[in-house]
Amino acid sequence: MSDTAAKAPTDRRDFLLKLGAGAGVAAITAQTAASLRSLVPNVSYDSPTTVKLGPPVDFPDGIKFLPDERLFVFRTGNTFHAVSAVCTHLGCTVRAEALSNAQTETIGGVEVKLTHRFLCPCHGSEYKGDGSNVSGPAPKPLAWYRLTVAPDDGQLVVDLADEVGTDFRLTLG
Amino acid sequence: MAMQLPLGARKAEPDAPGVRPQIGWSLSPRSDREAGDAIASNFLFHAFPSKVSKASMAWSYSFWLGTVSAALFFLLILSGLPLLFLYVPSVERAYQSVKDIEFVITFGSWIRAVHRIAAHGMVIAVFLHLMRVFLTGAYKNGMGRGQHREWNWVLGVVMLLLTLFLSFTGYLLPWDQLAFWAVTVGTNIASSIPWIGPTVRELLIGGRTIEQATLIRFYVLHVVILPLGLGVLFAYHMWRVRKDGGLARAEQEALLERPRDVAATPTKTYTLLGVARGQAPVIRAQALEAPDTTVNAVPDLVRRAAIATLGTFAIVSILSVFIASPLEEPANPLVTPNPAKAPWYFLWLQEIVTDTTIRIGSFTLNGAFVGGVLLPGLLVGLLTFWPWLDRSSHLATGVWFARVRARQNIVFLLVVLAILILTFIGTAMRGPYWYFYWPWEAWPDIPARI
Repeated sequence: MSDTAAKAPTDRRDFLLKLGAGAGVAAITAQTAASLRSLVPNVSYDSPTTVKLGPPVDFPDGIKFLPDERLFVFRTGNTFHAVSAVCTHLGCTVRAEALSNAQTETIGGVEVKLTHRFLCPCHGSEYKGDGSNVSGPAPKPLAWYRLTVAPDDGQLVVDLADEVGTDFRLTLG
Repeated sequence: MAMQLPLGARKAEPDAPGVRPQIGWSLSPRSDREAGDAIASNFLFHAFPSKVSKASMAWSYSFWLGTVSAALFFLLILSGLPLLFLYVPSVERAYQSVKDIEFVITFGSWIRAVHRIAAHGMVIAVFLHLMRVFLTGAYKNGMGRGQHREWNWVLGVVMLLLTLFLSFTGYLLPWDQLAFWAVTVGTNIASSIPWIGPTVRELLIGGRTIEQATLIRFYVLHVVILPLGLGVLFAYHMWRVRKDGGLARAEQEALLERPRDVAATPTKTYTLLGVARGQAPVIRAQALEAPDTTVNAVPDLVRRAAIATLGTFAIVSILSVFIASPLEEPANPLVTPNPAKAPWYFLWLQEIVTDTTIRIGSFTLNGAFVGGVLLPGLLVGLLTFWPWLDRSSHLATGVWFARVRARQNIVFLLVVLAILILTFIGTAMRGPYWYFYWPWEAWPDIPARI
C-alpha cells in the first residue's frame, strides 16, 4: 500500500521528466533533419537533354565535335550517329585522334570505316572509333545517343537522355 | 643540454627552479607545487602539465611534428582571414577575385602563397606526424590507469582525413581548370559507389552538374564546417594527450626498473594532469618526478613549443616570398586539360584509379570504385583499427623501431613507400593522355582541341 502510494508521485515525475527529455530530443532531431533536408536540391537546373545541333548540312562527312554537348557526331553520306565524349571512367572529356590509316569494321551488321580513336586525358582510357573501350581503366564503351530531325526546321536533334545501341543510324531521305 | 635550467634565479627559489617571480606578476610561487598550480590555473598555460619528462621533449623523439601541424593550422586560419575578405564565392567572379588577389592586391600574392604553402606543408606535417606515432608505437598504452591512446590515434586519423578534405575543398575555390576537373573526377569517384553513389554526388555538388551550388557548398565546407570540426578535434586531441599521461615516450621513464632516489611513495597518483584530477593515470614510478628526468613546463616546454611554432611561421613566410602560387586558365567545362593532374598528394590515388579496373569475363568493376573508394577505404580502415590489431608488449610504447614491432613497422613503411612511388610516377612520369614517359623524356605536342 504505502509502496504504491510512495511510488505514484515518483512515477508521474518520472513520466514528466521523460516526456520533457523526449520532447527535447524530438525537437532537436526534427530541426536537424529539417536543416539537412534543405540541402537536398528539389529542383535541378540542368541544361535540357534534348538539344538542337544545327542543320545537317553543317556536319561534314566524317566527325564533328560539339563541346557544349560533349558529343561527337559522325556522318557517312546520308547517315548520322552520335557518340558521347564523356569518359565512362570518371567523366573527363575524351579527345578524338585521327588514325593514320582508317580501319573497316562491322559494327551492328554495318560496315563502318573507323577514322578516329578516342583518348582520355585524365587516366589514359582508350576507345575505338565506335566508342568501344580498348584499354585503360574505362569500364564500358562510350554512350551512343538517339539522333532525330526536328519537325519544325529540319535541324539534327540529340536526346542525351536516350542511349541507343551501336546499330543505331539516322538516315536522311 | 638545451634543457639546462637558467641559473640566475635559482639562488632565491631553489625549489621552483623554472618559475621565477617577475615584475608585473601577481604571484610569487615559493615551491614547485605552487608554481605547478599556478600554471594549471593559468588560462594560457593550462594546456600544458606543470612538469614534463625531458625525454619526451627531445627534438629527436617526436620531431615536434604535432606542434608543427598545429602551427600550420593556426597559420592557415590567420592567412585565410584576409582571403575571406577578398575572395568572392561565385562562379562568375571567383576566378577574377583570385586573379586580383594574385596580381592587384598589395601583398595579396604573398598571403595566398602563405595559405597555399602552409596547406601543402600541413598535409606533409600531419602525415609525418602519423608516421612518427606509428613507428614509435605511440598509440599504445603504458602502465597508467585510464589511458586510451588508441582513441587519440583514431582522432588523429580523422584529422588527417579532414586535412585532406580541407585541401580538396580549397583548391576548388579558384574555379580554374585544375579546380573544375579535380572536382569532376573527385565527385565521380563518389558517384561510383554502388547504389548510393549518384545520390552522394548530387548532395556533394548540389545538383547534377558542377555549378554555383557546388562552389558555395565547397566554400562553406572549406571556411566554416571543416576548420571548425578540425579545431574541435584538435582541442580534444590535446586534452587526450594530457589525459593519457603525456607523450608515449614518458612511459619509458615510468618503466625504469630501478626506482630513483627521490622521496619515495610506492604508489602515487600522477597529478601532473591537473585538469582531470581523480581520473589521472596512476603510475608506479618515481622517475617521472625526479629532478634529473623532468623539467618544468614553464619555461622549457613553452620555449620549445614557441621555437617550433615560430620556426614554422618563419619558414612558410620566407618560402612564400619565393614560391608563387599557380593559377590555371579559368574553368572550362568544355575542355579537359591534357594531362589533367590532381595535386601531388592525390596523385597516388589518381594512379590507382587508373590501374584498378577489374575485368572478370564480361563483368567489369570500375577502377573509380576499386581505386577511389575500396582501396583507400581499406587502408584508412586498417589504419584506424591498427591499435587493436597490434598485440605487442607495452614495453614497446614510445620506442622508435622497437624490435617486437619490427614486422608491422616494415609493412607500414612498405605501404608508405608504395604511396610515394605511385605519387612520383603520377608527378613525373605521366604525360598527355596519361601515357607513361620517363622523367627525362619530352612530351609530344598535342593540339589543345581537335
